[in-house]
Amino acid sequence: MARQDRERLDLLQGTLDMLILRTLQWGPGHGHGIGQAIRAQSDDLLKVETGSLYPALHRLEKHGWLKSEWGVSEANQRARYYRLTAAGRAQLSRERDRWSQLVDAIGRIMNPAPARKE
Amino acid sequence: MRPHIPDNDDLDEEIRGHLAVSIKERIDRGEDPASARLAALKEFGNVTLTRDAMRAVWSPRWLDMAEALWQDIRVALRSLMRAKGLVATVVVTLALGIGANAAIFSVVREVLLRPLVNRDEDRLVYIRQSVPAVGADNLTFSVPEIDEFKSRTRTIAAFGDFSTIDFTMIGLGLDPRVVKAGVVGGSFFDVMGLRPVLGRLLTATDDGPKAAGAAVLTYRFWTTALNSDPTVIGKTIRLGTRTATVVGVLEPSVPYPAATEIIANVVTSPHHLGATMVTNRAHRMTELFGRLAPGTSLEGARAELTTVHAAMVRAHPEAYSVKGNVQLTVTKLRDQIAAPARTILLVLLAAAAVVFIIACSNVANLILARSVRREGELAVRAALGAGSGALRRTLLAESVLLCGAGAVLGVILAQPLIALVSRYAARFSVRALDVNVDTTVVWVGAGLAMAAAVLLAYVPRLPSPHAPAGLGLASGAVRITPGTNRRLRIFATTQIAFSFVLLAGAGMLLATLVTLQTARTGFNLRQVLAVDVPTPSLGLADAKAINFYQEVVRRVGGMPGVDGVAVGSFTPWRDAGSFGSGFQFSVEGYRPADGEEYPRGRMRMVSPGFFAVLGVPMIAGRDFTEADRVGNELVSIVSQSVAQRLFPNGDAVNRHLMWTDPVFLIYGQPVPRRIVGVVADVEDENVVPGSALTIYQPVRQMGVAGRLFVHAAGDPYALVPAITRVIRNISAEQPVERAATLEDVRAEVLSPERVNAFVFSGFAGIALLIAVVGVAGVLAFSVSTRTREFGIRLAVGSAPRHLMTRVLSEGVVIAAIGIAAGAAGGFALARVATRFFATVQLPGALPIVGAAVVLIGAAGAASLLPAARASRVDVMRALRAE
Repeated sequence: MARQDRERLDLLQGTLDMLILRTLQWGPGHGHGIGQAIRAQSDDLLKVETGSLYPALHRLEKHGWLKSEWGVSEANQRARYYRLTAAGRAQLSRERDRWSQLVDAIGRIMNPAPARKE
Repeated sequence: MRPHIPDNDDLDEEIRGHLAVSIKERIDRGEDPASARLAALKEFGNVTLTRDAMRAVWSPRWLDMAEALWQDIRVALRSLMRAKGLVATVVVTLALGIGANAAIFSVVREVLLRPLVNRDEDRLVYIRQSVPAVGADNLTFSVPEIDEFKSRTRTIAAFGDFSTIDFTMIGLGLDPRVVKAGVVGGSFFDVMGLRPVLGRLLTATDDGPKAAGAAVLTYRFWTTALNSDPTVIGKTIRLGTRTATVVGVLEPSVPYPAATEIIANVVTSPHHLGATMVTNRAHRMTELFGRLAPGTSLEGARAELTTVHAAMVRAHPEAYSVKGNVQLTVTKLRDQIAAPARTILLVLLAAAAVVFIIACSNVANLILARSVRREGELAVRAALGAGSGALRRTLLAESVLLCGAGAVLGVILAQPLIALVSRYAARFSVRALDVNVDTTVVWVGAGLAMAAAVLLAYVPRLPSPHAPAGLGLASGAVRITPGTNRRLRIFATTQIAFSFVLLAGAGMLLATLVTLQTARTGFNLRQVLAVDVPTPSLGLADAKAINFYQEVVRRVGGMPGVDGVAVGSFTPWRDAGSFGSGFQFSVEGYRPADGEEYPRGRMRMVSPGFFAVLGVPMIAGRDFTEADRVGNELVSIVSQSVAQRLFPNGDAVNRHLMWTDPVFLIYGQPVPRRIVGVVADVEDENVVPGSALTIYQPVRQMGVAGRLFVHAAGDPYALVPAITRVIRNISAEQPVERAATLEDVRAEVLSPERVNAFVFSGFAGIALLIAVVGVAGVLAFSVSTRTREFGIRLAVGSAPRHLMTRVLSEGVVIAAIGIAAGAAGGFALARVATRFFATVQLPGALPIVGAAVVLIGAAGAASLLPAARASRVDVMRALRAE
């Protein structure tokens, strides 16, 4: 695992919330599934530690951006399923805008040639 | 909608669900169940940490902090348990500081800050007439003056009047006794805004000469003398020659201007109904209160009353002092009541604050020394990643614990202190008697403890995260930095400086007390018993009263063990103030220059033998005799100061004098009295020795007496029961009260000075004790950290005696600097204080030098132990120490 870690990217501070919200846009999921989805979507480049993922899920729920309920997982065990709320969707679009502005700004600095629009 | 807050079971189940999915995936990929489980757990990481992080999302932030602080406090408790000596010193020191402050503040709050019970007490004013130039600070008012105020002012909605008079009261099942009574008009209780607890108070229907006699009992009298007997209402009491019905009991309230036992209407006092009282403008005996009219301010009322008063003085020049400017003061009643106690309480508060500062700086010292010793521990914690906030919190937890314990002990200590201080303050303001132990003490204690705790937590330096900590970590040894050393010394110096101020102040009070106690009074103090034997005042030269006193003198004089007996009108010191500030008189051949007033003299009535009994020497002429009585030539005896001032040629005897004071106009035109003798000066009003113009007149020509003086051969108090019996045989209803030797009377009058000195000495003693502990602590610490230095010094040949002197001199230098700072600070403080208080005395040289000597001596003594230790350092051990 240590070897694999070296190839992975560290998650940028403050982006985990956005990634979780984005992942849940496709439909409800439990914690493990969300982690796996982020990993798969990023072609194994991003790996979310459970120690960060679960507190983040609860934080988002506390803000009212997620709603959770008990369901039964593929392992035939009770699992907590998270679902995006309307407020969560609005938050996602806000974070997406901020993110693209940030990328744009960093891009201008790193690459002063004609701006590259995302 | 608020999301459901998950509990620990929910969180555990969520984690179990995660692991189950993770394991299933691995098994689906072909791993065997056991290793799949291990791998899943390994991937998940620390389950407990994750769960705590999830829970922390839902719990409020303050709960986390409280939990962290609780953790810190538990650690602090454990670490303090290992330093019991330090804890005890710190807690006791803080408790002394906090207790003294809490106690005095409780009294200050009650006496100076709390409103009176009177309705709308903010609108209640007290009006006073005075002539400061001749020392008459309260002239009171006459009935014509009050009537004029009533008809000519608009800013005062209503006036209330109150005069004090002594009645012999019979009834209510009590022994015949002289009660202090207030005589009031019908508006008094309404103006004062007071309510009854039982029955009713006096109203306008009780006013005037035709009303029935009615009396209200004060709450104190009702509860103490009558056991709160509810059947008292409607009972009849005899007051002198009149009777009155008890109509009610007054609610507990501040008695002002006088603490009386009953308050009666005007009809009970024949004196109040007499023509003199009603028509003579100079016959003043009434105190005046007012209630501000709606919409008027104190300033407005003051302006109007002053104008009316000035017009009054202009219109009736004969009734007012020519020389002294008659002044009118209008103050809120609350301020008037608090005024005498204000200065003394503020001074006490300042003293308590100084003790608190000393206590804090001493505790800061101890804490600083301790924190230097644990710099190693703090460095280890900093190296392990504790932020400076966390380190501060540890220190804060320790100081909160220490100060909290100090506050608890201080509050416990404050309870008896409050009783002590309020009894003391009661001499200046009656309100102090009502001081209770309430939550104020707790709040003040807690506030002070918090202040101290925060202060103390910021005293020690934290190890800098940038400084190389290696050395400290490795050796664990104490390395005292020059900065720390300087701070320790500054704290010790501060303590000495403040202690010096307190010691010098206490020394000054003690010196005053000693001066007063050893002053020559001119009286025989030990063997003379003074007894109050009052008779109702029945007018001038009342034959019945004169005969009564003649009989008392004859019978008491015949008792065994009695060397001499006399009656008079005035017990020295105890009766001070009861005759005002003296009366104007004139002597034959003396004319005051233009604009000069006639001199004022004290008037005393004495019987033959008075001077011999009290031990006052006759200087010229003769004593009064039995022949000096009504119908014979009017005679007087004067004090030496009168003879010297008004008869500079030394020929006072056989010249004449007469009372010219307007107060006596009711008795007719002044009549000359022949001076038959001159006696030595005595000071019977004030405890401070002085010489006052005094004129004595024979009891048999005036009738007024009331005080019996007995010169005893043996123990004066042994005579008291027999004297009482003898007098009751003459008149069964005669009060015989307050028997005491002149020595004890004087001690009683001096007791405020004694308590002053006692209280301040107490403060100074506490301060001295704390300062000595402080100096000893600093030096002990300094010696223990310099063991190596002393070892080297001894190794290269220093004599142990030399090291000892060095340490001793360090202590003395700290004390000397402290004293210099204290003297400079104290002097500056006195300069500032003179701006706020009328009388600020700088202590004389003796108390200052004395305080300095005591402090230097104490500092030297405190340095002895550390110095001895320095000289006994084991060279080899010291050198191997690092």
